[in-house]
Amino acid sequence: MRQVVTGFALSLALMVASCGGQQDPGPPQQAGHGPVRIGTKNFTESVILGELYRQALEAKGLKVELQSRVGSTELTNAALRDGSLDLYPEYIGVLLSEVDNIRTRPASPRAAYLLAKSKEESRDFTLLKPARLSNENALAVTRSFARRERVRSIRDLKRLRPAPRLGALPEFANRFEGLVGLDARYGLQLSLKPLEAGRQYAQLDRGRIDVAGVFTTDPQLAGGRYTLLHDPEGVFAKQNVVPLVSKKALKAHGPRLAATLDSVSALLTTPAMQALNKKVEIEKRSPEQVAGEFLSDQGLTGPASG
Amino acid sequence: MLRRSIRTQITKRVLVLSTTVAVLLGATLVLLIIAVTGQRDAARIAFASQEALTLTSRLQTSLFAIENDLRDYVRKPTRPLEPVTNRLAAFPVQQRALAAQLSDDRGQRERVREIGAMIKSYAIRANALIIVARTRPKVARNQLFYTDRRDLIAALSASLRNLASRERTIVRRREDDAEAQSAAAIAFGIGGLGLVLIVVVAGTLYLRRAVVRPVVRVARATGRIAAGDLDTRVPADRADEIGELARGFNTMADSLQRGRSELERSNTELQRSNAELEQFASVTSHDLQAPLTTISMYAELLERRHGSETGEGHELIDGIRGATQQARVLIRDLLEYSRAGRGELAVEALHADVVLKQALEALAGAIETAGARVRVGPLPVVLADRTSLCRIFQNLVGNAVKFTRDDPQVSIEAEPDGAMWRFSIRDNGIGMQPEYTQHIFEPFRRLHGEEDYPGTGIGLAVCERIVEQHGGRIWVSSSPGEGSVFSFTMPAAEVRDDELAAAVQTPVGAGS
Repeated sequence: MRQVVTGFALSLALMVASCGGQQDPGPPQQAGHGPVRIGTKNFTESVILGELYRQALEAKGLKVELQSRVGSTELTNAALRDGSLDLYPEYIGVLLSEVDNIRTRPASPRAAYLLAKSKEESRDFTLLKPARLSNENALAVTRSFARRERVRSIRDLKRLRPAPRLGALPEFANRFEGLVGLDARYGLQLSLKPLEAGRQYAQLDRGRIDVAGVFTTDPQLAGGRYTLLHDPEGVFAKQNVVPLVSKKALKAHGPRLAATLDSVSALLTTPAMQALNKKVEIEKRSPEQVAGEFLSDQGLTGPASG
Repeated sequence: MLRRSIRTQITKRVLVLSTTVAVLLGATLVLLIIAVTGQRDAARIAFASQEALTLTSRLQTSLFAIENDLRDYVRKPTRPLEPVTNRLAAFPVQQRALAAQLSDDRGQRERVREIGAMIKSYAIRANALIIVARTRPKVARNQLFYTDRRDLIAALSASLRNLASRERTIVRRREDDAEAQSAAAIAFGIGGLGLVLIVVVAGTLYLRRAVVRPVVRVARATGRIAAGDLDTRVPADRADEIGELARGFNTMADSLQRGRSELERSNTELQRSNAELEQFASVTSHDLQAPLTTISMYAELLERRHGSETGEGHELIDGIRGATQQARVLIRDLLEYSRAGRGELAVEALHADVVLKQALEALAGAIETAGARVRVGPLPVVLADRTSLCRIFQNLVGNAVKFTRDDPQVSIEAEPDGAMWRFSIRDNGIGMQPEYTQHIFEPFRRLHGEEDYPGTGIGLAVCERIVEQHGGRIWVSSSPGEGSVFSFTMPAAEVRDDELAAAVQTPVGAGS
């Protein structure tokens, strides 16, 4: 008898718990007193950013549900618009070029931020304060390849015969900050070998590819083994990191949410992010631990728990 | 204080006994209920676990199917999307059903919660992909490069397998526990029933020994007392109710015995004085005969020698002679009464009508003088002494003829009365007041003067003695002017020999 009752209670509790998020595939708009639902993209830096957000918010007493590696910008953004997420760390350049399809670059990061923010405000989302951290897209070759082929700029790739082999994230194929922009600005028509983030370097090293699409905060770039190609046509824009948040969530969770995330963003500089990326990508430590240590060191949370 | 403790001893023990039995039965019942409940729980657990396992594998299949359908849709957006969305919508339901069927275990709850979170992650990714596939099919197609959802499904699958195997372990352990519990309860239940049986048997034996046997002993002793054995006693050393009963019985027997010995002593005394009295009467009356004879003889001589000379002396001599005759009759009757009921009876089967005829012949003169009509009904055969029975008839019929008025009628009849015959001698004579009917059988009791109705008043007393010697009784019912009915009983001849012997025994034991 007791088992039946507790079993019933358990199922009831689970029902209530599971009612929170994915009850139906449509947008579950209730934010109420549920957790702050944070998503991240499917590469290391985004995962670390998600952990930073989560731990900072939890330190302020907010409940957080973190969905790491939801997918590329396109998918993560879709999940946000869909209402499955409340916020995720976004890069202003990608937001403008890939979400808003704005191919002309604003004059300054500040202008880009204001433009992007106004776009978001118009559809019930908003951008919080941006970080100084900028992680841009870039094309990299090995240093030896650059020397041998005398390649310094993207434009130099055009004359290479046979055409250089490019390895990058699969979404590179469809983006302006990708094959679309390279074709439009440089007349470069390359074939793409899709690779997961971080895998390009090994491929470059082994000579499987000649050119890799990379992030400028990638820790692999620090050793000087690779050369970043100049981008005179400005296909790759500045990419300041900013939390893209639904206004509904801001309203539901109060000013603590924005204030906490702003305080995290204030800590994020490009070198700091590179250091964090290195700890995860090279030293193979967990993003959770790395983020915890960082917040603790910066005095945003209590002493690191481990 | 002592009485109360005595009275409650057996009651208390019986109470303790029945309480013990009740408690044991109750405990046994509880144990059996536990056993049944345990079995039922085991069955329920097994059923729920089977359900959970089925749900788990269904969920797994569903996950793989949805991923395949999703990829097909992304590759070719013209394909139907419903299977994917339907399955996505079904996930939470399936997960809840699974959670409901899982056993109540902290680890399992944690696991199912994790599985729920993973399913949710998968659903978010799948939804996002569907949205992108609708708006930007090419982008979506490129995203198929990533294996994150597949990895998620693989992890989910592993979690579900783990969940299922844990569930099997837990359920097996719980089933074992339930089985063990139920087996133990059954064993205890059977033990309890055995204990109840033992207690009941012991209680029965105790009651038999402590209550039934002593009571039977007292009952048997009562029977012996009733049969006359007043020496009977029962053991009375116990302190409980039975002891009290036995002591009460013994006290009663003591007092009975005391009463009887007193009775016997006074009876012996009475018999002795009675015998002495009768001896005295017999001797006296016999010895009185001699002087009476002498007086009578001298009166005769006086008349013969001087009868002619004294005319007045003749009358005096007649007076002497009359008084002498009267004294003689008196003495004769006295003798007869003292002898009646003392001699041996020659009991035989007699035709009462023959004996009555004999008596009527002896009374022929008196009957004729009175002009009485005598009617005789059919009379039976009785067991009696011929002379004695004749004497009864003679006395009773004689009285009927004597105490008469005009047109005297006498009828003699007999009716069966148990093992006896009841004879009735009915007359239409003067009768008597009912209060005299009690005293009329006492010796020398007369209701009338000698000059009205002659007689000594000994006849009915003699009849009573004779009837009682035969084991019968005699009585009269009468009222003045209405006549009288004298009745007496005599043993019938058609009775068994042993009953006959008992019936004929006289109160003084002369018939031995």
